[in-house]
Amino acid sequence: MSSLSVSTSPLPDEPFAADGVRVSRSAALQRYSLRARDPAKLAAVVGRELPGRIGGVTDGIAQLGPDEFLALLPVGTQLPSGEEEPVSVVDISSRAVGITVEGEGAAALIMSGCPLDLDRMAPGQATRTIYETVEMVLVRESETRFHIEVWRSFAPWLWQSLRLSAE
Amino acid sequence: MSGYRVTGAGRVDRARTVAFTFDGQTYQGYEGDTLASALLASGVTLFGRSFKYHRPRGVMAAGVEDANALVSVTRGPGRFTPNLRATAVEIYEGLEASSQNRWPSLKTDMLAVNDRLGMFFPAGFYNKTFMWPRSFWEKLYEPTIRKMAGLGNSPTEIDPDHYTAAYVHCDLLVVGAGRAGLEAALAEAGSDKRVILIDEQNELGGWALSDPDQAQWLAQSVATLTAAANVRILTRCTAFGFYHDNFVGAVERLTDHLAQPGSGAREKLWRIRAGEVVLAQGAIERPLVFEGNDTPGVMLASAARTWLYRYGVAIGRRPALMASHDSGWQDAFAMAAGGVTISAIVDVRDTVDDALLRQAADLGIAVHLGSSVIGVSGRHKVTGVEIAANSGTGRKRIACDALMMAGGWTPTLHLWSHSKGTIAWDESLGAYVPDKANENVRCAGACSGQMDLGTGVVVPALPTPKDASRIKAFVDFQNDVTAKDIGLAVREGFKSIEHVKRYTTNGMATDQGKTSNINGLQLAATALGRPVVDVGLTTFRPPYTPQTFGALAGHAKDALFQATRKTGIDGWAQDNGAVFEPVSQWRRAWYFPQDGEDMHAAVNRECRAVRESVGIFDASTLGKIEVVGPDAAEFLNRMYTNPWKMLEPGRCRYGLLLREDGFITDDGVAGRISPNRFHVTTTTGGAARVLAMMEDYLQTEWPDLDVWLTSTTEQWSVIALQGPRARDVLSALDTDIDLSPEAFPHMSVRLGQICGVPVRLFRVSFTGELGFEINVPAEYGPAVWKQIVAAGQPYGITPYGTETMHVLRAEKGYIIVGQDTDGTVTPMDAGLNWAIGKKKKDFVGKRSLARPDIVAPGRKHLVGLLTEDPSLVLEEGAQIVADPAQPVPMTMLGHVTSSYWSEALGRSIAFALVAGGQERMDETLHIPMPGAVHKAQVSGMVFFDPEGARINV
Amino acid sequence: MLLIHCPYCDEKRPEIEFAYGGEAHIARPLDPSALSDEEWETYLFIRSNARGRHHERWRHIHGCGRFFNAVRDTVTDKFETTYKAGEERR
Repeated sequence: MSSLSVSTSPLPDEPFAADGVRVSRSAALQRYSLRARDPAKLAAVVGRELPGRIGGVTDGIAQLGPDEFLALLPVGTQLPSGEEEPVSVVDISSRAVGITVEGEGAAALIMSGCPLDLDRMAPGQATRTIYETVEMVLVRESETRFHIEVWRSFAPWLWQSLRLSAE
Repeated sequence: MSGYRVTGAGRVDRARTVAFTFDGQTYQGYEGDTLASALLASGVTLFGRSFKYHRPRGVMAAGVEDANALVSVTRGPGRFTPNLRATAVEIYEGLEASSQNRWPSLKTDMLAVNDRLGMFFPAGFYNKTFMWPRSFWEKLYEPTIRKMAGLGNSPTEIDPDHYTAAYVHCDLLVVGAGRAGLEAALAEAGSDKRVILIDEQNELGGWALSDPDQAQWLAQSVATLTAAANVRILTRCTAFGFYHDNFVGAVERLTDHLAQPGSGAREKLWRIRAGEVVLAQGAIERPLVFEGNDTPGVMLASAARTWLYRYGVAIGRRPALMASHDSGWQDAFAMAAGGVTISAIVDVRDTVDDALLRQAADLGIAVHLGSSVIGVSGRHKVTGVEIAANSGTGRKRIACDALMMAGGWTPTLHLWSHSKGTIAWDESLGAYVPDKANENVRCAGACSGQMDLGTGVVVPALPTPKDASRIKAFVDFQNDVTAKDIGLAVREGFKSIEHVKRYTTNGMATDQGKTSNINGLQLAATALGRPVVDVGLTTFRPPYTPQTFGALAGHAKDALFQATRKTGIDGWAQDNGAVFEPVSQWRRAWYFPQDGEDMHAAVNRECRAVRESVGIFDASTLGKIEVVGPDAAEFLNRMYTNPWKMLEPGRCRYGLLLREDGFITDDGVAGRISPNRFHVTTTTGGAARVLAMMEDYLQTEWPDLDVWLTSTTEQWSVIALQGPRARDVLSALDTDIDLSPEAFPHMSVRLGQICGVPVRLFRVSFTGELGFEINVPAEYGPAVWKQIVAAGQPYGITPYGTETMHVLRAEKGYIIVGQDTDGTVTPMDAGLNWAIGKKKKDFVGKRSLARPDIVAPGRKHLVGLLTEDPSLVLEEGAQIVADPAQPVPMTMLGHVTSSYWSEALGRSIAFALVAGGQERMDETLHIPMPGAVHKAQVSGMVFFDPEGARINV
Repeated sequence: MLLIHCPYCDEKRPEIEFAYGGEAHIARPLDPSALSDEEWETYLFIRSNARGRHHERWRHIHGCGRFFNAVRDTVTDKFETTYKAGEERR
């Protein structure tokens, strides 16, 4: 059986739009949680450059904490697991789903429940944060476009909350 | 219409009339009117009844500080709002408002008898009177008081409106758009600062709206600010609370003023984080304390001026003024200039500035210095006042149809005080002013004490020749607190102003001390014989004015009250008739009734299916943590009671987790995926807690360990396939894993493919049967589930829910942490000694297992219970006693933790925590339940297949 | 809602991203079995409950995930400083 044809999402296929903002389900991604005390060792294992500071994003890898990285990569991208190395590579592709919020009103819509000052978040930045009571990772892709990563079972609540706030 | 509307005055739009009703009667006002101004213009003076004495009340102030004219507004089912101030309700076409606290009508209120009985209702009346007899409280006193007390009625239907919210960040927040606030915002208009200017009223301007001389400046200022891209203006928005680090809560009212509110949010909660805050909340004029000061038509002088110049309404044809402050004279002169005849000016002071006297003389106004109003005639409307010289002589009547009072000004310190700024007593103002800031906040304008309103004297109560113990001179109008109530409180021994406040209720309810607290303070200080500054001031607490629950709740209601977590397979369960139950934030399939089955029948059928053939269960909510790194085994060895280092890759182990105090906090099975990688499971409810606990030890106690934790709870769908035919079903699916018992024994894990997707296949059992837990990436869970269900049809595969899972595990003696344990149960108490690594030098909680209280005899042990009547299912939570003949209160030995009907055994089974339970095997104990006391015998906990023969096949 | 400086992210972030973690600098004994009952009781249960300057742990749980230490005045609620786990008591 073809695996892609049976994958399911907790979010609706149809985006919604309101004044100056459009919210849609993001395309599927290959996701990894990457951890290491020494980022150089991790970079060597996965063969990729790492951001170098918390909040940075380099080639799809966001640095969330001093030893924590979130890789958001095209589906099918396989990273080595580095089993013998002092690193942790864990495939979490299904753990979260992505929500794209775009338009002039994107930042304001996210700030309906997120306490961060998004005026101070530059494009190309990423951080774990919270929307009311639900944790998310927020990536600012451009001035008017954000990508939200939210755990699968919390996604419908977040989607509906954004939808109601956008009305 | 009455002639109280003054031609040419005010900002209301005369071209647009607005019809509304008050207590069912239709009135007309103009766009821009409040309910209060429109009713005053129509000659209405009686607006409501007071809280305790049900005295007739009018409007006292023109703003939110008014404490008298509380009304209810209704606009259809569920849209009923009580306790609105008529002075803050904007009229719209069709507005339906009603008065409160009266029966049967505002003019004829039966409970006004309370006023005549006033001597029986002193301060603390409730506390003193309804103490005896005790039995009367529940049946008589409480229901009666509830009926009589309170202000407006609570809404009875669910609020259909929705409410929205936003965080917003700025460099400068200005609260209050009077002159000072406007100037603070103007100073930054066009700068690179993000500025927010908020005001509770419908338009910017504050007092400038009541002063035509400032109209041009105001219009220019508003235009400048509106044009400034860096300034966000929020009107009809109340900053209700000031919290840590310049975090200010504000509610913007979006639709309450509209005739057609539409479908948008009713209110918006703004959570504002500001770099700097300028508080320009202004000042509130103080009432004077004298007999009759609550008569409808007695009001603040500044309010009278606002009615005239902002709304074009004269409060009477011949109002008088009672003043202790120059500002009242200016208000009276302004009224006179607007065409209102001032019948007299009475001032408690013996001398005032000559300029005031000259101007009064020029206007032909009679002046009475060194005198005070000592009584007001008229019940629903002022018909005259009686005055006397302060010496008590020279009593005389003055004819007037309204009375203005001017007692000086109180800076509005509410938000300043919320921010924990200190305050200082200003003797010349007779009020507290801001002192030292606790945040990056400053006060501007009148609320900082900077006022250009002349001078005055502070008098706690006006002199009167009458017997002070026989008159009602109000301090807190809303709560009916009089000057003598405060004196009584002090005489009864209340010395702290906070205690006086609570005993008398002065400054409570919606007023929050706006008009009452300085007068109350002056009276208390006088009675105590101490300077005001030594008596202090009651604490201001948010909200500044009442706010709706809706605004604070936002969309946290109904389906969005909190996230309801659903697994991927939840949809299939719903389609197949599952009944659900909440388990922490998850909703889980509880049982799957068929053909009208009740829960009992469904669970029995599900249990039989698993024991006899095969069942399928959604275990996706189990907490899962991927533990990875060279020190993974060492880390688990330190966390769990069990030994982990020798566990071979591909094998699983049950893990028991204690807190450092020795009590069980979680358990679960972990599989070693590879030498440096474990797949650890936790209870559903414990997932987040266990991960946080592990992170705590890892980051702060053992930061040297090279191991990392990743939550994978939501990465995997977990499908439990349990029963003697489980392997047959699995074999029918497309998988590359060798399922034979030799290649894949109980308590092992294999990686491979199933139905074309990657799988971590665990051979584990929480039922006592041959079992597998199929972990596939969550997005494929529903598809794989359906394939298994299809493959299981020849075996009658049966979906089962959490209830059947509970029964099956109980038959096998498996505990559920959090149900059979309660945070005070050790592994020894639970009979889990076998799970403790005896050779381990240390693990979390080990030292506590040797604590004196934990090794002491008599602890409660988890044991089995078999009822004498096999058909009787004990109630979970039922208490257990040794001797049911013992008089109450009996010695309770423990309680039932789990109790079920076991279909496999044809009888009931139970677990219980029983004192010394392990030493009571076969003893008969007693369980009192409603209707009967039941007997049960203490037993072991494994009721079914004690040899485990069914698992190892 | 407080603003809390996370020493790892090196910025002030809103309080709801954080979880409180109790008193700081209470290290788990290296060899608990060597402790007397009284010493173990002290480690488990006895806390300073300071009025004023208080060393405490916080975790930026909805941010970088790290535990760190803080000095906060329990009367004013103001943070004096925050610093990384493992650094000297301040």
